[in-house]
Amino acid sequence: MVLVILVGSAAAGIATTGLVPSLKGLWDIQSHPARLLNDFTQATNDGAALLNAALVALFGLALIRINRVRLSGPTIAAVFTLFGFGLFGKTPLNILPIMTGVYIAARIARKEFREYIIIALFGTALGPLVSLLAVELARPPLLQIPIAVFAGLLAGIVLPAAAIVMLRLHQGYNLYNIGLTTGFIALFAAAVVFGQGKQLAGGSVWNSQPSLLLQWLIPTISALLILAGLSAGRMDALRSFRRILKLPGRLPSDFMDMETVAGSLVNMGVMGIALWGYVVLVGADLSGPVLGGLLTVMGFAAFGKHPANVWPVLVGVMLAAVTFDQDLFARGVILGALFGTTLAPLAGQFGIPIGILAGFLHLSIVMRSGAWHAGIGLYNNGFAGGLTATLLLAVIEWYRTNNPTATPARAGSMASFRKDRT
Amino acid sequence: MNRKDFVLQLIGEMAHYVLDTDPMRMVMSLHQEEDGLHLCILDSIKRDDVELETIRTSLNTSHRPELAGYYGSMAGYDGLGEARLNLIGWQVKGADVSDTGSGTRIDLWLGGERFDPASFTLPDSDD
Repeated sequence: MVLVILVGSAAAGIATTGLVPSLKGLWDIQSHPARLLNDFTQATNDGAALLNAALVALFGLALIRINRVRLSGPTIAAVFTLFGFGLFGKTPLNILPIMTGVYIAARIARKEFREYIIIALFGTALGPLVSLLAVELARPPLLQIPIAVFAGLLAGIVLPAAAIVMLRLHQGYNLYNIGLTTGFIALFAAAVVFGQGKQLAGGSVWNSQPSLLLQWLIPTISALLILAGLSAGRMDALRSFRRILKLPGRLPSDFMDMETVAGSLVNMGVMGIALWGYVVLVGADLSGPVLGGLLTVMGFAAFGKHPANVWPVLVGVMLAAVTFDQDLFARGVILGALFGTTLAPLAGQFGIPIGILAGFLHLSIVMRSGAWHAGIGLYNNGFAGGLTATLLLAVIEWYRTNNPTATPARAGSMASFRKDRT
Repeated sequence: MNRKDFVLQLIGEMAHYVLDTDPMRMVMSLHQEEDGLHLCILDSIKRDDVELETIRTSLNTSHRPELAGYYGSMAGYDGLGEARLNLIGWQVKGADVSDTGSGTRIDLWLGGERFDPASFTLPDSDD
């Protein structure tokens, strides 16, 4: 199914653009700047962008297969995220040093690579660091390419250690934990670049006139997923989908394991169509980054997100946009709305008001955080979401541990902390 | 991760799970050997067959190295929300769950292929 989606999307892109322009565009993408926001559908063409995205995702899929890892919630989420970000930042060339770095880290820690494969797949968010050093800074090619590869390797080596610590910071309430991790690492990378007196070009490349193919890509994939789910499970799929809606979604919630594959596929399809509908409704462009956001949401619908825990965050983002006098279709706002759903577990665990507050705070910070790391960390919303989740968690934890009468978390209990029970 | 850190994580998550149910008594016993260890947790909570089976299923999940090596590191660090036994289930070799008559007993077994749980001398009953 995943293979059909990837190959089908690339084939559709090539069919509408033509083989030669697609291949030429694919070549151009490899040496194109990749920092936020560089929409490959605008920088080249649909065929090249979709081919690049499919290659990036197929690379990840191959890695999963070679390492004999189950294609389940987290790996599906990773493949869809690779596919989505292959439209605006990841290329087969810039992700390779990062993945190799994670492999080296696994060797250093005497672990099997598959124990770190999730980190390697999502860690490719630092691909722009490799592209930045390889193509954006004015140095002799013989010097800049080894530097870029070395930096990518180094970032990959650091990733597992940092990712595990970050996970404990927000305790699994930020679904894009590697976003927080890569954003954190990117802060240092950007500081080193700026420290050399280098000025990085700002601005963004954005497709404001997406083709019909791009406009209908998500509904088509969503329909395929729903059909696949229903044909595999029929009524069981719908029952399973309803049970998924009751799960908090906190990391790691593998819906395919906790529920059924059929129910998870239906959830992925429903999420895709629902958020695509939101994008169309507010009048935002279905550009490469927006499609990337939608594909990421769909992937994570097998690993933590569902309509019931996503909508409060979305409402929070919308409230923040209205408060700050921003249009709902503005680039930062629409991306904040889609990727801000990284905070869905907060709504799932602590309720609707906390979800809305999380969405509000998220948009407030994500509009600024990209500049901190010069767009080097592709999961800027994961970075901002991690900061938001950590702040909220700290306050909630402090309140609950110091107030015996505090309402317990949905499934937790503070009873054992009462002094009179001992 | 060294053994001490790993054991601390196991104890932390298991204690979190047991304390969530507010027991009047909780006992943890650790036995270590060269290539394995046994952690026994006893509490005073009477659980029905469905609850025992849920614990058994969570602790005997299929081998998920991709989750154990990364998300498994959250075990023992959960401050909020419910304890999650599957974080442990991905990492242990096996688990036995039984009703002691006055509460619940959970045995966690970890070790290499040469590790033999039978060589441990923990008594069968909790008294």
